[in-house]
Amino acid sequence: MNQEQTTGHLPRRPGRRPLVERTERETVGQTAVENPRMSCQNVGVFYDSKKAISNICLDIGRNEVIAMIGPSGCGKSTFLRCLNRMNDTIEGCLVTGQILMDGKNIYDSDVDVVPLRAQVGMVFQKPNPFPKSIYDNIAYGARIHGLVQNRDETDELVVGSLKRAGLWNEVKDRLEMPGTSLSGGQQQRLCIARAIAVNPEVILMDEPCSSLDPIATAIIEELIDELKQDYTIAIVTHSMQQASRISQRTAYFHQGDLIEIGPTDQIFLNPLHQLTEDYITGRFG
Amino acid sequence: MTTIHLLLTLLTLTLAGFFIGRSKAIAVCSAQGGPSTLHSRPIYYGILTALWCAVPALIVFLFWLIFQSTIITDLVVADLPDQIRSLPEARLNLVINDLRNIVAGNIVGGNISPAIQAAADHYKSLEMTGQAALSVIVTVMAMVAVAGVWLKITPALRARNHVEKVIEILLLGCSTLAVFTTIGIVLSVLYEAIRFFKIVPVHKFLFGLEWSPQMAIHAEQIGSSGAFGAVPVILGTMLIAGIAMCVAVPLGLMAAIYLSEYANRHFRNVAKPLLEILAGIPTVVYGFFAALVVAPAIRNTGDMLGFSVSSESALAAGLVMGIMIIPFVSSLSDDVINAVPQSLRDGALSLGSTRSETIIHVVLPAALPGIVGGVLLAVSRAIGETMIVVMAAGLSANLTANPFQAVTTVTVQIVTLLVGDQEFDSAKTLAAFALGLLLFVITLILNVVALMVVRKYREHYV
Repeated sequence: MNQEQTTGHLPRRPGRRPLVERTERETVGQTAVENPRMSCQNVGVFYDSKKAISNICLDIGRNEVIAMIGPSGCGKSTFLRCLNRMNDTIEGCLVTGQILMDGKNIYDSDVDVVPLRAQVGMVFQKPNPFPKSIYDNIAYGARIHGLVQNRDETDELVVGSLKRAGLWNEVKDRLEMPGTSLSGGQQQRLCIARAIAVNPEVILMDEPCSSLDPIATAIIEELIDELKQDYTIAIVTHSMQQASRISQRTAYFHQGDLIEIGPTDQIFLNPLHQLTEDYITGRFG
Repeated sequence: MTTIHLLLTLLTLTLAGFFIGRSKAIAVCSAQGGPSTLHSRPIYYGILTALWCAVPALIVFLFWLIFQSTIITDLVVADLPDQIRSLPEARLNLVINDLRNIVAGNIVGGNISPAIQAAADHYKSLEMTGQAALSVIVTVMAMVAVAGVWLKITPALRARNHVEKVIEILLLGCSTLAVFTTIGIVLSVLYEAIRFFKIVPVHKFLFGLEWSPQMAIHAEQIGSSGAFGAVPVILGTMLIAGIAMCVAVPLGLMAAIYLSEYANRHFRNVAKPLLEILAGIPTVVYGFFAALVVAPAIRNTGDMLGFSVSSESALAAGLVMGIMIIPFVSSLSDDVINAVPQSLRDGALSLGSTRSETIIHVVLPAALPGIVGGVLLAVSRAIGETMIVVMAAGLSANLTANPFQAVTTVTVQIVTLLVGDQEFDSAKTLAAFALGLLLFVITLILNVVALMVVRKYREHYV
């Protein structure tokens, strides 16, 4: 557990340029990246005609960890759930705008959500292992997608996924135990293992560590750091320290608007927007 | 003082006790600096006083009511002339009955002998005395209790704890009452069933293939030998319940899945109550629906296809019964499916499961115990249902597995055995209790097996 605290709340450099006013809600910072994995254009979400987020433009780059921070109810989780259309399950939810993946809008009527979700996996705030054995938890996704043909392949996949999620040594003797019998941190790593078992390209994480203790959190942060070599990871977090430790880019949301997006160091050391500075210096939120 | 008056007095005393206790508590504490010096809030002192006033007095009252009549009767009988007392027990009971009738002012046939008249007067006077004594005792007890608690009220008295203890005992009493009632029912059925098994051997009842509950009134009568083999009746029950479950479980479960997983709010809000109305239709209405609509329809269809279908068939009864118990399955399953956390569905969907895969692999296994519970409830309804079977499936105990024939069920036989004037010591009547016991045992086994299945296959979710 040799987690390095790279940044904290450092004092601002004196003599910087003036900040954007609090009333200004246009996104500041670099929304676009070169060769993005997913590209969101003017995304808005309404719950029963009540606006949750609006006018979000944001690119998600390849093999990057992008963190989304902001006060509660700012729409960061709503935005995250747009990326694999998990909002479809909420009755009365309407998504506007475009989210392009491989040049195709995922909200087009001819897009099937099932392969999309296999491509864009998700890990939730509360660990939600299925009420099945540890083995079946991992094998479930691969089986329904036909990624494995026989018991040997399944074994290999289960072992591989558990190893990648750093859970193998802890559970190798009890794969037939129910997934719910594990501790909270282990359950969350099981959920990550379950997500990577279907071989997604993007992994969405919605406050994956908020119900975990600091040690379990550190293990998962290390894991995220390793996973970014193969996957694109978008993570919503309440912990600014966590965002600064694990992400390359950070997006700050406020009351349904994307206020600022930029390299993580810049957001935390030298934000452009007054609201961002208020938040990271702990003035609210 | 009549019973009503006595109860009203007791109620008044209890209310008075409440206010006396509460005001005493307030008075006691105001001398020492307000309610905060009391152990409990003043209302608890009031409740405690009221409880002490009412509960012991009511207990005495109840016991008195239970035993008064027996004790007075014994006293009166002891005073009867020897020639009456030495009568056989049955005759003596008749005399006592007459006596009670005279006391109650009913008309009694025949002449009333002076001895009986005297005894009746004696009975009346004893009853008056008893009533008066009861009134005095209960009233005095209540008053003494109020006074006693009143004297004991101090800031240190732990009134709340005492009141809570009493409430706890009350709750315990309520929960055990149901258990004891069940035990009582089982014992009474068991007792009569044992009498039956003294006449008809157990193995003949359990394994006999013919059911024809006739007993001869005199020995030379034609058809004097009754047959008490329960197998056709049990098989009939199983057949009809089986058909009903074949209808209700798939329909109910799929309806529940649609309502909880696919339907939108508006449809669900309309459809669920409508479905539950099915459970509210009286079974006798289902019965004539089965007998007048479904059974003829089945017979006509059968005729067209070349089957011979009797006008009363197991199929008609089973189908209609299945419709009747759909809400038991659907409503309970719908509730448990809804209780499965959304996070599990999200987890499955986010792995790229389709809706149906999510339901089959994740939601239904998690909801299994509740679904089995609903199905079990439906099975017991199906086994216990009588009216539909009487009207649509007939009374003849055929040993058959053919759903197009008339069959009969355990409950229907119990009804036919016990309806009308019956001799209570004949095997025919007692057979009803044996059937009841058998039914009870079967349901019990069914429940235990289902519980074991659920425990084995249930999937825990947090």
